[in-house]
Amino acid sequence: MRRRLRVPIVMALGLLTALAAAAAFSSAEVSFRSAERDGARVAEVLIGERPVIVLRTSAAGYSPLERAEIVANRLRTAMTSEIRVEDVKVGSVPSGEGLYIRDQLVVAVYRPEAEAHGATPAALARLWRDNILLALGLEAPEEQAPQEGAEAAPPAAQEAPAGGAAEGAAETAAVAEAEVEPEEVDWTGTAQKWVPIFSLEREGARVGMAQVAGPTDQIDQVKGVYQLRLDFRNIGRVYAYVPVSTISTKLNRVQGVSVWALADIKVLGF
Amino acid sequence: MTAKWIIALVAAVALLGLGLAAVNGWAISLGDVLKVGGVALLVSQYDDQIDSFITSALGEREAAAKGATKVVPILSLGGGGYVGAAQVVGSPENVSRVKAVVQVEGRFGSGRAQVLVPTTVDKAAGTPDRAKGVGVSAVIEFRI
Repeated sequence: MRRRLRVPIVMALGLLTALAAAAAFSSAEVSFRSAERDGARVAEVLIGERPVIVLRTSAAGYSPLERAEIVANRLRTAMTSEIRVEDVKVGSVPSGEGLYIRDQLVVAVYRPEAEAHGATPAALARLWRDNILLALGLEAPEEQAPQEGAEAAPPAAQEAPAGGAAEGAAETAAVAEAEVEPEEVDWTGTAQKWVPIFSLEREGARVGMAQVAGPTDQIDQVKGVYQLRLDFRNIGRVYAYVPVSTISTKLNRVQGVSVWALADIKVLGF
Repeated sequence: MTAKWIIALVAAVALLGLGLAAVNGWAISLGDVLKVGGVALLVSQYDDQIDSFITSALGEREAAAKGATKVVPILSLGGGGYVGAAQVVGSPENVSRVKAVVQVEGRFGSGRAQVLVPTTVDKAAGTPDRAKGVGVSAVIEFRI
């Protein structure tokens, strides 16, 4: 009897472990957004809540925000399977350095971008690599020598508190870059746009348009509004409006944008 | 004897039915009254809990708004009464000034149009004074 039970128990435990690992891995979602740093408008690529790549310049005709979207998509693709430390590496590209995950180029670092950060292309690519590894809960490789990083690290690294030990300087630099994320979101913009809104309720499906308002950069990102229906303790029904940058199953909220007006029509009744 | 019992039973059931109908009628009337005046009470009692509920529910979906939030009553322009509540979001200093959201709603067949204006006054008289830098992130309908 005990022997017969052992197999399903082991299988169940294995399944649970695999599910837990998958859940932990999938919790690291990739997103991008516009932000302000040092008085300049930049684009950030985030893994979870942590900005891992900050783009300050245009390249190949793409704005920083468009580049961030491309980089975010590449990261999402790369993260569909497990990433190991050795998978994230820095290599050469024509006229610059490239950050790769396996053989996929994630982002190219050219001199104008590096100069905007006060760093060399190689140092900036290494910093972004370490940021990605830290965001994924992995340890950055030791090849990041503190002396090398100190010489060419971005201003954020140079301004990092000097209290840390020398061997921790590289990590401090990466964390400092991530921690300067501005918590204050600009909600004072007055740009407006009409975007589609779609809601699926118990009573039926409705489609329509929503007017969103906010700063111009954020409004440009909004592709639609999701309406979520939540029940608050049998007392009330909550309709939450989430302006999103992509029409997908993942809610990529655009911060600093809110809904001012709605118009919809019932297209399907249940 | 049996016929008397049947008549008594029918009469009792009829009286009970009438009583229940009367009670239900009274409940509906009370609901209407509550809907006009009770939303403000519900908002004042549950505003923080609703605010936390919405923020945490969106946070679980990684879609919480980064900014100050607050739940205020919705005033129906024209009707003048409270018709629900709304969560507003924005910078802390602007959100703290919001007293209500004024709603202008129109219906056309199976369609509806709704304008939501966060305002710094709690009366829906005249042109609402729009609170700058604040928007609506959720609308709450109470079941009363």
